[in-house]
Amino acid sequence: MAFCIAVIGKDNAPLYLTTSDMEQELELQYHVHAALDVVEEKCLIGKGAPESKELYLGLLYSTENHKIYGFVTNSRVKFIVVIDSSNVALRENEVRAIFRNLHMLYTDAVCNPFYIPGESLTSKKFDRAVQKLMSGNA
Amino acid sequence: MRAAVGLMLSHGGGGVEPAMSRPDYEQSALHHSCLLVLLRGVGPSRARVLQRAFEKVRRVSHIRVNDSAGNPRSIWIRFVHDHPVEHNDWGDFQTHRRLLGLITIGRFDNQTELNELCRQHESLKVRYGSTLYESRAIFFGPDEPPLDTIGEGQAPPISGRRLQDEFTTPSNFRSQAFFYREQDTCADLESRIGDFASALFWVLESRRLERSREKADKVSLLLAPFEKRDFVGLDMESRNNRKRCVGRVMKNLADLSLQAGLVDDALSLYHNANETLKSVGDSLWVGASEEGLCAASAMLLYPQMREIETLHRNSSLQEAGTSPLKSTPEKWRASDATKKVTAGEVTANNVDSAQRVTSNSSSCSSVSSLVTTATNSSASDTPSTSSSSSTSTISAAPIPGHQRNGDLPGNILKAEEITNYYRKAIINYSKYRHAATIETEAALKASRICIEQNRPLDVAMFLQNILYINLSMSEAEKVKRFEIITELYQQIGYQRKAAYFQRLAALQHVKQGSQAPDWNQSYRLMLGSFTGYLLCLDPLEVLENAAGWPALQIDLVQTLITAARRLGHSALATRHMTFLLQTQWDNMSPTEQSEMAVQLQNLSAQCEGSPVPLVLENGTVIPPANLTDLPYCLDCQVKDLPAHLRPQRIKVAKADSGPFLFTPIHFNSVDRRDKKKDKNKIAFLWVQNDLSEVTVRLRNPLPFELAVTDMRLLTNGVVFESLPQTIVLQPHVPTYVSLHGTPIETGQLDLQGYSTHTLGVKSNCRLKHMRGRSFPPNYLVDVIPALPRIGVKTSLPQTATFSNMNSADIVVTSASLTLYNGESSCCTITITNESTTLPLEYLEVGINSNVEQELQKKIFRIDEEALKTKLPVPPLGSIDFDLHIYAEADFVCPQPPASLNSGAAGGDYGAAASLAPYSNMSTSGHASLPSRVGSPQHRRHEPQNSSFRSTISAGQHSLAALSLQPGGGGGGAGPSSLGSQYSQHIEAQVRLKYSGGEALTAGYCRQCAVSFNLELLPSAQITSWDVLPAEVASQFYLVLDISNLTAQEMSLNYTDTKNILIEAKESCRVPIPVDRCSLEQVVAARAAEVAENLERELCFRTQLLSFNDALSKLCSIHIAERVKINWLLTGTDIQGVASLRGIVLSQSMVDLTAVSPLQWSISFQETPVQPHSEIACTVGQRSLLSIQLANQSLQPLRNLVLSIKFYQDYLNGMENYNLETRVAISGPNKIAIPLLEKQEQRQHTCSVIFFTPGRFKASIECSSNPQQKQSEHQSDMFSSSYDEQQAHVWKFIPPIEVTVVEQ
Repeated sequence: MAFCIAVIGKDNAPLYLTTSDMEQELELQYHVHAALDVVEEKCLIGKGAPESKELYLGLLYSTENHKIYGFVTNSRVKFIVVIDSSNVALRENEVRAIFRNLHMLYTDAVCNPFYIPGESLTSKKFDRAVQKLMSGNA
Repeated sequence: MRAAVGLMLSHGGGGVEPAMSRPDYEQSALHHSCLLVLLRGVGPSRARVLQRAFEKVRRVSHIRVNDSAGNPRSIWIRFVHDHPVEHNDWGDFQTHRRLLGLITIGRFDNQTELNELCRQHESLKVRYGSTLYESRAIFFGPDEPPLDTIGEGQAPPISGRRLQDEFTTPSNFRSQAFFYREQDTCADLESRIGDFASALFWVLESRRLERSREKADKVSLLLAPFEKRDFVGLDMESRNNRKRCVGRVMKNLADLSLQAGLVDDALSLYHNANETLKSVGDSLWVGASEEGLCAASAMLLYPQMREIETLHRNSSLQEAGTSPLKSTPEKWRASDATKKVTAGEVTANNVDSAQRVTSNSSSCSSVSSLVTTATNSSASDTPSTSSSSSTSTISAAPIPGHQRNGDLPGNILKAEEITNYYRKAIINYSKYRHAATIETEAALKASRICIEQNRPLDVAMFLQNILYINLSMSEAEKVKRFEIITELYQQIGYQRKAAYFQRLAALQHVKQGSQAPDWNQSYRLMLGSFTGYLLCLDPLEVLENAAGWPALQIDLVQTLITAARRLGHSALATRHMTFLLQTQWDNMSPTEQSEMAVQLQNLSAQCEGSPVPLVLENGTVIPPANLTDLPYCLDCQVKDLPAHLRPQRIKVAKADSGPFLFTPIHFNSVDRRDKKKDKNKIAFLWVQNDLSEVTVRLRNPLPFELAVTDMRLLTNGVVFESLPQTIVLQPHVPTYVSLHGTPIETGQLDLQGYSTHTLGVKSNCRLKHMRGRSFPPNYLVDVIPALPRIGVKTSLPQTATFSNMNSADIVVTSASLTLYNGESSCCTITITNESTTLPLEYLEVGINSNVEQELQKKIFRIDEEALKTKLPVPPLGSIDFDLHIYAEADFVCPQPPASLNSGAAGGDYGAAASLAPYSNMSTSGHASLPSRVGSPQHRRHEPQNSSFRSTISAGQHSLAALSLQPGGGGGGAGPSSLGSQYSQHIEAQVRLKYSGGEALTAGYCRQCAVSFNLELLPSAQITSWDVLPAEVASQFYLVLDISNLTAQEMSLNYTDTKNILIEAKESCRVPIPVDRCSLEQVVAARAAEVAENLERELCFRTQLLSFNDALSKLCSIHIAERVKINWLLTGTDIQGVASLRGIVLSQSMVDLTAVSPLQWSISFQETPVQPHSEIACTVGQRSLLSIQLANQSLQPLRNLVLSIKFYQDYLNGMENYNLETRVAISGPNKIAIPLLEKQEQRQHTCSVIFFTPGRFKASIECSSNPQQKQSEHQSDMFSSSYDEQQAHVWKFIPPIEVTVVEQ
């Protein structure tokens, strides 16, 4: 369902990145990285009205093959999901659901007392869950 | 080129695809209002020479013209360098695409060249002939020949002849030409171009008027190039198509009005056209009219956008100057142009705009708005321009950042509407495949407007949209598209996006299958995208920031390396590979690390990397990259010099700093300086020209052997000569490496790290760049002036083992020597000055050993004075000096306590003790001594040696005997008192402090030492001793038991004439006649002691020395001085002297040793008794014994008791004192003498009658009893008589012998 799910720290350093297609990983990383500008822009706009802040940033941009969606947590950790453009059936609500689930998974993962915030996520459990989420049976 | 153009022209009509093949990426909305002029350099490539002319022409981008009605018009010119001819075909669609003017600039030297220039000008005219209004040619001719100026009065005064007189243009050249000398200032060029521009305007104005006067029903259909086929066969007269025609013409007229400076008219025309065209559904032209609306509005709203073009060039430069990583890219929030205009050139614009305002009269509210923008002032102080457009009461909605209160036309688009209109236009365009170029351009224009409006998200949207436009174009065009997108993204601060597209552009250049991959461009773009990925060329900065996406960074650098390699710039490839290894080492897996390392090795095989900045052709400087952590330095230690070369301060007598040794107050700055001392300051010193060492511990993190060659120390400060070091590091094994070098100068040396050459790359590994280890940024070592070096040799064999004494590390050589106690030897020490330049000017010899200082002085002796005279030693010279060694030892056995008590104890007990040996002797007798004294035959000097020898096995009672069993009571001789019976080891160091040259003046020296291992073997030992009276009163016999502790026979010479041989391990007894200790000495000793006691008393010390101690010492020294026993090991030449130093004498011995204070003169039967004389008398006959005592001492003697006793000596050790039945004495046999003044004499006479014949002896003695004296004369110490505290016994020796015969 999703091509790639990335978790990016508040200083824009990658914390976690997984793709369904290992061959495209680097290319997707480039895409995700390029999407950060828009994420930052949208975060900046959201700054003005904190109470109405929407975590879901919506479609950041799309290319021929991919649609890239963004989500930012209150701690400014960014989630980026890359979705196949050709998958027209996917509705925005489903993307939102993916982000919600991802957010919960992330929260669980960082609850680990041995996790140091800002370090890359290496939790196997998190990885399994995200893989599941990516394949669409979460 | 020309051929290509020809080809294009021939196909021009219909064969070629009518769509514009090349989007004009530079176009902005404001270009809609410009007149397009081709500015072209012609002729041979001398454009550079003519750069100034180009600049001048370009500067005329705006002119003001008053139209026929007298209204001023603002006309803008856009100069282009190149213009595809087919773009002219779109001139009906959008008039600003039409090329209206042509200016060529060329330089010629002769007529032929001029002809060629003219020809090129004409051919350009032909090419664009369909749209061209006017053309100009600017020719630069050769400089005037300097001689020809005279005689040409009519010509302009400065330039003698006009060029056009000299050269003539060909007949077919019909354009207007301007001629200039090459060095001409071309002062009138700008005005001429202005004229040209106004000429263009007038033609345009005429066209506009012509168009506006056209009858609505007569107009023909205007077509976009690709539409031609669509309308073939359609009914042009239908209502719809008529409307279409009218709408299109209206739109065309709007375009012309916009160009002609009538913005207001244009706006309303666009609105009308838009309405008209919408109603007929002419989407393409609806889009065009919408775009036109946007352009016209933008022109009024954002006049400052015109500045962008001119400023763009500089902006790239400015960005390059600031480091992108240091400051996180400040989000761009205002248009570059706006910022620059407002900040930078306010004044210039003020002047400029003020001019405009004054010349304005109508419809130029845009200008007034420009004023407000430029000055940021409020509306109130805006000059009220007499604006004709009074309708414009509704101003544009206030745009953030742009306060605009000037009068704007009412139908202008509001800022946010512009975006919408552009969006609509793009949607309209997108319906036509052939309008892709138009669409792309529209999107770019839209994004530029959005940049101006500070709406980055819209920019991103428009730019993203460009990618969707399906435009068939060449690779180069695609790259160009990516680059322009990159640039626009950069303008809005989307560095990542920009980098993404820049990288795409770079990849596009070298796409697989591309015919001519342009690695150069690819490389340039790649490098440009660094900032977006938070990389920069300086590896240190990258390491410091440690930000960005490692995976992407690695990938990017790798691509860059590939590009550099394909470029053939292997130095660059090596540099980038080094950079990759340095910066991304931690982000790579071990396999990657080793792969990269191997790659680097391969790359550097082509070009070695070195730590110098590389400068690219375009001026980019690639800073050096160093393999700082390859190998990984675990440890770095600056080593002191070897101990024997270490410089020391020469100790100088301290200046008197007052009575306090320590003061908490610091007057001088020494201590303050200490506090300030850096942490990295090394405590020790290095010496100029001396090899110094730094040890580093390195680890090779790669899984294969790593060869590191040419490792050197990196230093600053004084000149330092590093010695290269080469090592091969095994994987993962920490290895110590010593780096050596020699400081050449004196001063402070700054050790910064080391340089390596590994994997084919030279690196400077500085400590301050080594992360994660607590290294100081550098080490500072002081280098002092050069010191000489010496070599030391001794004449003795070296020891096998070095001593374990203190500072054994300074020992440079050693010597060992074995001596028998008492033996002397000599060692020659040779000192060679090994330095080639410095003399040895200072040499100080000191000896350190494990024995006491006193003893050490006796053992070692150096003639320092002689040594001093040998200095200085020239370079490479040598001197030698002797060290005298004497095997000093105690030859005297320590006395058992019993024999010592007499000396120590005082009082009556002492008296008893002192008497004991004598009473002992008299009661038990001695086998040999009495015989010697008493027996007549002994008196006759028979060889006494034998008698002593014979008695050795017999019991020795009277002698202070000491058993000689090894390990017995006497064996505990420590190093402080050298016992003589065991071999002693003495370790000593002869320490040499030396210096010379400048270092000596600076107060430094070096110290080295020669270690001496001295073994002292026991030779002779005096096991026991006694003092016996001699035959004469002035002498006494010192009787010694001497044992030979060597394994050889020993010959003893104990007096001048007497020798004795002692077998190995045997002992024998020798008597040595010694002069008595004179009375004067005794008196002196006493006086000294009294003085000392007095002093002690003054100091309230209660414990007074007993006089006896002093006397005993005196006697001991007396004996030691006089008695020297020379021994010789027979069969060898080993000889020595045994001294009696330290012999301890008991009280009785002391009395014998010292001269008696009493002088006896005894007469028997009126005859004075001579020593050893025979006295005879008969039984029953009364004999008169007269004893006369004289006090010879300087003190009076008190409490003396004179006693006379007769006894019989049986000569077997028995003495019989019970002689009541055999002898009788008249009068008392004990006479008390209370006081005997000095020089006083006392006489005592008595009679003796012997009852039986026989041999009798008389013991006459005088004893002093101190007890009463102490009670009586407690206080007067000075007057106290000789020895009042001590019990003394003075005997008359030898005893009188009387032989009684029968009558």
